[in-house]
Amino acid sequence: MGIVVTGVGLVSALGVGVEQNLASIRQGVSGIKSKPEYLRTTNEVPVGELSMSNEELHQRLSISPGEHLSRTALLAILAVREALEDAQVDLTRRVGLISSTSVAGMDLTEHFFEDFIEDESAGRLRDVRMHDCAATTQAIMRYCGIKGYSTTISTACSSGANAVIMGAKLLKHGIVDCVVVGGSDALSAFTLNGFKSLMILDQSPCRPFDATRAGLNLGEGAGYLVMQREEEAMKWYCRLAGSANRNDAYHQTASSVEGDGAYLAMAEALASAGLSPEDVDYINVHGTGTMNNDAAESAAMLRLFADAVPAFSSTKAFTGHTLAAAGGVEAVLSVMALHRGILYPNMNFREPIEPYGLVPVVEFTQGRDLRCVVSNSFGFGGNCSSLVFTR
Amino acid sequence: MRCYIERVCRQSDVISDVKQLIPDAGLRRRMSRVVKSAVATGVECVGGVERIEALDAIVTATGWGCLADSERFLRNVIVDKEQLLNPTPFIQSTFNTVGGQIALLKHNHCYNVTYVNRSHSFEDALLDVLLRIADAQSENVLLGAFDEQTPSQQRIMERMGLFRRCQCGEGAVFALVTAKPTERSVAQVSGIEFLAESISKEQVAKRYGVTAEEELMYNRYAEYGLYPTASAQVFAEAVERIQQGVERVVVYNEYLGDSPTIIELKCIG
Repeated sequence: MGIVVTGVGLVSALGVGVEQNLASIRQGVSGIKSKPEYLRTTNEVPVGELSMSNEELHQRLSISPGEHLSRTALLAILAVREALEDAQVDLTRRVGLISSTSVAGMDLTEHFFEDFIEDESAGRLRDVRMHDCAATTQAIMRYCGIKGYSTTISTACSSGANAVIMGAKLLKHGIVDCVVVGGSDALSAFTLNGFKSLMILDQSPCRPFDATRAGLNLGEGAGYLVMQREEEAMKWYCRLAGSANRNDAYHQTASSVEGDGAYLAMAEALASAGLSPEDVDYINVHGTGTMNNDAAESAAMLRLFADAVPAFSSTKAFTGHTLAAAGGVEAVLSVMALHRGILYPNMNFREPIEPYGLVPVVEFTQGRDLRCVVSNSFGFGGNCSSLVFTR
Repeated sequence: MRCYIERVCRQSDVISDVKQLIPDAGLRRRMSRVVKSAVATGVECVGGVERIEALDAIVTATGWGCLADSERFLRNVIVDKEQLLNPTPFIQSTFNTVGGQIALLKHNHCYNVTYVNRSHSFEDALLDVLLRIADAQSENVLLGAFDEQTPSQQRIMERMGLFRRCQCGEGAVFALVTAKPTERSVAQVSGIEFLAESISKEQVAKRYGVTAEEELMYNRYAEYGLYPTASAQVFAEAVERIQQGVERVVVYNEYLGDSPTIIELKCIG
């Protein structure tokens, strides 16, 4: 039984909506700004921040500001509503939701904690109500009218891809008739300082897969797909042909030199789709721009594809690294790449990383004959997941 | 859908030396209280570090995640004004830390995922295990649930008025799950349900044809203290009942405002 993608929704630093994001990439305009505009922080580092305040987001969604939703939930609701509308989902059917997040309501918790650590009877309780991950998922259900089975996954930066994998299982077993899958993460001082303390934030716009890369730019966003069983769908963008979740089991935060987890995830995802490495036309790589990830991912691609590495690029120089949302955001971009024959440019690339010598796509092209696209998402805890989309 | 339970292990069942369960001293030292106790419980459940190799899926569940490390890092961000921060609590604060560290102990590259869905976290993780087994993707799985309490979180929940009827709780529970019955199997999971609306004890009994009192565990989670994955403790107790000779146990949980879940367990054979 085939699983097909029937709807997409996307919010990132590039803007609101799939078309806005694609237009920005086509024009070569990055969403990375020199420093945060809305996030409360003293760190003046480049970030991929959506240029809308929480108040504006509430307004755009016609949700009363009094509801006081976390930014993670607001971004998610925007993307899920777009995906549901795109797929013209009948919400009276058994519609499920598998959402993922790593930051959850941390943006609000940060406000609470500033007061709470001074005085434990201080801090507004409505600022911690959305702290746990499930609160984001429940807000999406409430404001998007989803009533079926729902769950929340958090495996750091591979979360969104794992939501896609679980969603496919639910469809296959008839637990849902239609499922919304993906992830959302807002910028927070917690994560920005976390990556800063690990010394993997680039002080300049990030340069994935470039020899001079010096770290990642943190981003925010939400990306969701609507998936259905092929025989019940009227029209679709593409198939989810295969997927895999494997663990690098090397280090809590670093990737193995040979890219074990990345290699196993890509290889098993292709095998599960009944495809060979030579069938792949494009890979939307994880490509964070850190020394470690891009080297490990290069090694993994060379192991799997040898001297025939397919066209690949990282879109993180446009969006920043959106953490748990990345698997969702990049699944949406991969689906659109396949559907419209787009190869996204790997912005800011100049010279290849030695000894790998891999050169990503640098020009935006559209209308190519793509049949198979792979999306990679790797994270802390060694979590590595790959998705395979086919026409 | 069906799976078999070889062993269930609670935090309090850990009898081996933690140094044997987590031999890497560096790894052990960096672990927070919840990570150390959950990893130790998981390794004890599998039967020692060597046995991690044989696992083909590690599925964990947590409602709150690594609260103490999250709080410590957040406190440092605020107090130290975003300067010269120690990354360790940040690194260990991710929800998938326990699953990742168990895989790391024996370099196990298998399927590894973490459910963070409040009081449904454990049930969702169990559903994933059942689906993987039904699809013949897994045969030997480590399933676990953990949550920790901290003074700040207790104070916040108290201010929210959540402790009027029960105490706060915490704990770790792991289960070694197999696709087929083995000579070590102690119980089987024969069904799982996610309900939209709450139903009474009598309705659950009728739905499952339960007649004996010991076969139904209705909303028992609060006896283990109020925390999102307390239902895993009830699950462990249900497995124990089966081991003691009860043929079947139906576990119904409806935590705070969440929708109810039902797990049905049966004896082997």
